Amino acid sequence: MSDYIKLDSEKISEGVKTITELGGHGILKCVQCGACSAVCPGVKAGFPVLCRLLIKKVLDGQLEEMIEESSSWGCQACNRCTEVCPQGVRPQEVVFAFRRYQANELAFSTSAITSQMNLHSYGHAVFSDARELRKKVGLAPEAPTSAYNEKAQKEIQTLLENSPMGELGLY
Amino acid sequence: MEKLGLYLGCNIPFKAPDIEQSFRKTFPVLGIEVEDLEGATCCPAWGTAPSFDLDTWCAISSRNIILAEDKNIDLMTGCNSCFGIMSEAKHFIEDDPARKKRVNENLKAIDREFKGTSNIYHISHVLYEKVGPEKIKESLVYSLDGLKAAIQPGCHILWPSDVYHVKEKNSFFPTILKELTQALGAEVPHYSRLEFCCGMGGMRSTDVEKSLKLFTDKLMSMKEEIDPDMIVTTCSSCFLQFDMSQQILKERGMIDFTIPVFYYTQVLALAQGFDPAQVAAISQTPRDAVISEIQSEKRKINKG
Repeated sequence: MSDYIKLDSEKISEGVKTITELGGHGILKCVQCGACSAVCPGVKAGFPVLCRLLIKKVLDGQLEEMIEESSSWGCQACNRCTEVCPQGVRPQEVVFAFRRYQANELAFSTSAITSQMNLHSYGHAVFSDARELRKKVGLAPEAPTSAYNEKAQKEIQTLLENSPMGELGLY
Repeated sequence: MEKLGLYLGCNIPFKAPDIEQSFRKTFPVLGIEVEDLEGATCCPAWGTAPSFDLDTWCAISSRNIILAEDKNIDLMTGCNSCFGIMSEAKHFIEDDPARKKRVNENLKAIDREFKGTSNIYHISHVLYEKVGPEKIKESLVYSLDGLKAAIQPGCHILWPSDVYHVKEKNSFFPTILKELTQALGAEVPHYSRLEFCCGMGGMRSTDVEKSLKLFTDKLMSMKEEIDPDMIVTTCSSCFLQFDMSQQILKERGMIDFTIPVFYYTQVLALAQGFDPAQVAAISQTPRDAVISEIQSEKRKINKG
């Protein structure tokens, strides 16, 4: 028996609703023309399930089946897809809505963990103690950002902890 | 003198503070006063809040924009990703009154409110639109005449063009960085992969080999088609990718050359005569030879 996809209207509705609510409002406008995938650096680099195919799989009701798919984390958020889409789908917003679905099920890339911790601790996803380096080039050793500002750190911690991200046990 | 809020992001203050120093040196010369946005955080980067919750992303981005609003000035960033992320967040908030209400509810917890009175600029927009190539040319001490530059505008100042209030005439054929680099005297030939992705960002942290594949395509396009003396970019992420990844390809024996890489304001600062030990001091890919060439006696501009 062939291994074809059996469409399930409940799963399709659920998938579309999930992606729409997470920010992928344009998904139902997609006509599968593939303009997005044609200009996508992620697809070019070899991440297979991005743009057109990602949208197709959601529209086929395969959201849950894709939860471990890592392609979405290879998305550069460059928005070439959004620029060329003739239907106003804004495919990057669909890809990021799918990422949010994955992330909120804790199916995010392990590469994202350090940046989350850094954001919470210092207010910076990328952080290293650059005081010596900064002095060397004639700058004040402590950058005037949240990295050395307790009030600012407290503010970002409040925003993160009061958000849905605070419920995921990341901090 | 026009005043702009200097939003530093993460890469520049902690990985490449010589780029930060080049902002602080060059902008006052060009009539722009830069004011620090004390306590600014990450934009937040694509792999953090934008990947988890849209409203949290908007709250964190808007907090950064509020720091400029509080000073009644516009915000200027040197990182393409920060420009893209904060511009999109501003668009998401202003396009949806219900979201603006929710975001401001979230911001109440830190006693802040987003009004939307400050615009977001990338430094290339400020240099092009507020300063202009002519004024840049007038500020130079050294000319880059006869040197050839490959430019790398980067993705996040180009797309999605409908949410940016400063944009290229044709985002798939960008010319702003070309004109800014030509203002230094350099030759800036076209190469076929001009607007292609360099492979930095989420792609690099998810799969470094795929990232290097794109990077190699881009680098070889520059090398084989125009053989530049330097690469010039206005994206701090692209800068790091070109600087770090050339070393990886060299160590693997995949290339037998390297091309010096500069952030635009670094090469501008050098041409204005600033000390390379402050404005162009940190790189893995060697660039001392071309720095000496730029600041050589024979390149001094006779202002007589």
